[in-house]
Amino acid sequence: MRSPFSLKQEFLKNWILGLQRCRSSKKNMSIFERKKVIKLSADVAVASARNGITCWSRALIADAVKEGNADKHLAEKILGPASERQPTEKVPVGAMAYNKRIRSKKIPKRSSVIRRTIKCAPQAARPSSIVKRLVGKRRQILRSLIPWGEFMNGVSLIEETLDYIILLRAQVDVMRSLASASKLVNLN
Amino acid sequence: MSSRRSRQSTAGVSSISDDQIIELVSKLRQLLPEIRDRRSDKVSASKVLQETCNYIRSLHREVDDLSERLSQLLATIDADSAEAAIIRSLIM
Repeated sequence: MRSPFSLKQEFLKNWILGLQRCRSSKKNMSIFERKKVIKLSADVAVASARNGITCWSRALIADAVKEGNADKHLAEKILGPASERQPTEKVPVGAMAYNKRIRSKKIPKRSSVIRRTIKCAPQAARPSSIVKRLVGKRRQILRSLIPWGEFMNGVSLIEETLDYIILLRAQVDVMRSLASASKLVNLN
Repeated sequence: MSSRRSRQSTAGVSSISDDQIIELVSKLRQLLPEIRDRRSDKVSASKVLQETCNYIRSLHREVDDLSERLSQLLATIDADSAEAAIIRSLIM
């Protein structure tokens, strides 16, 4: 796993890039609009830092540009030309490294892999005793908090949660540093 | 033959899942500020889940608050401005 420091750099780089792409429309933005641009570009940047290998990050970007999303155009502007974007769908099931250990030896047929990509996770054959304890309302709530969490189960849900939290923390750290640095600059 | 194989792989998957899940839940515990500082090892999986949800929600709120503050602090989002250059050099 990449060190947290390089994750922050990756996030910051993506974020600045996204903000630059919105530069033209910024002259007379209201505080509310500016907040929206800052937040959306930060969220997209943190998802992009994962380079499409996790389900939640693909979910975040896919949802941002979905038809019917009010800020779709803004998201597309931030993401830049389609040629520079990362893949957001059709990824091998269980793309995260540790899932490969528990996948069965049988090589799935191509059609079954595509059919399962929406689910983002290999299904556990039988719920273990611990998984049984992770059911119910709390698991539902957790799934509602992770992008595309409703498609995840058991092991993959926890793995995605772990990754999501790590990236969220990196995002908060960088944004906090920027906020304190901006305050210092503004005071001068 | 095939039933034996499938029975074996089923048993294999569920017992690995148990250990995997224990490992992952403990990793989750490490990340949660509430639970990590407690000495006790006996934290239930459902408590971990609950703290995880609370933590994620608080992180979301922080991102929102910080976005609000930043939009007030940054007069423009001109990433080429002198301010942005100073900020960048302070953070990196």
